[in-house]
Amino acid sequence: MALLAVPLMPHLPRTARMPDAPPGWDYNPSAWAERWPVIVLALVGSGIAGYLALYQWRVLDTVWEPFFGRGSEIILNSSVSHLLPVPDAALGALGYLLDAVTGAIGGTKRWRTMPWVVVLFGLAVGPLGAVSITLVILQPVLFNAWCTLCLASAVVSLSMIGPAMDEVLASLQYLKHVRQNGGQVWGAFRGSGGENGRTIGRTGPASRSPWLRGMGRD
Amino acid sequence: MWARMLSALSGIWLMAAPAVLGYGDPAATAGYIVGPLAAGFAYVAVWEVIRGLRWVGVPLGLWLLAAPWLLNYDIVPLLNSTVVGLIQIVLACVRGTIKHRYGGGWAALFGRGHEDESREGV
Repeated sequence: MALLAVPLMPHLPRTARMPDAPPGWDYNPSAWAERWPVIVLALVGSGIAGYLALYQWRVLDTVWEPFFGRGSEIILNSSVSHLLPVPDAALGALGYLLDAVTGAIGGTKRWRTMPWVVVLFGLAVGPLGAVSITLVILQPVLFNAWCTLCLASAVVSLSMIGPAMDEVLASLQYLKHVRQNGGQVWGAFRGSGGENGRTIGRTGPASRSPWLRGMGRD
Repeated sequence: MWARMLSALSGIWLMAAPAVLGYGDPAATAGYIVGPLAAGFAYVAVWEVIRGLRWVGVPLGLWLLAAPWLLNYDIVPLLNSTVVGLIQIVLACVRGTIKHRYGGGWAALFGRGHEDESREGV
């Protein structure tokens, strides 16, 4: 019944309908419904990259390439893919795993209680997408070849950026609010003030702030 | 949504066009570089919270308009680059619908306050 009642109460502020949403937001970016698609994408990306790494390590003798002939072979054995001691796809697989782990850690208030995890999540997702695009450019420019699964991996990594960045934005807005109200930004970043509200004194004017409402009770 | 998708498709077309239309360098390599960038930024800007990245299409489009004259393209890649450049610029200006509120968006991180009123800035 409660679920049915919410749309029938338009006079309620939107944050009242969505209790863990940041102030000025009409949804909670840290809700599981927002996060599990990213975690699934990260695991898919890790699977693709892991498969390509197995070929680069010669655990597998061949690599699946439906469109571009010897394209995947050329790309995956290229000089660029072996610039580092570890094949690039193995690093990609690790990057995706970091995305999945940092996407999964923390509860549905983590934009406020664990900003460091959210920011780490954003730092893991963003550069991975940038690297993927760079590799997509290098394939035809340097080697005149395309690699189907590398392109698929690039699409997966780009698909995670949007869903990750809303949480990052919420955490940064929260940290800015803490700073503006004289709180300890570093403490808030590490999450020390998240649940118990000690980052900003609860007796000051900041305690009436919508950003801190409900702290200490949840 | 449709603007982002069309913009992304035009970027992917830049990657395929050298093979489809049968032209070579320098236009081919230029397309291999700009194409993934245009497609990538347009696709990422599908998500409302980073819709602002659509504006990257403007400098990319301006480059596509200028490149044929700077790099001496033949007529076919010249026309292709010009059309895709115009598509990039026009579609970058289409904001599309923003359904959600983001506490003032990224703009709220700069300057003071107004977090609760604005739905712009994304």
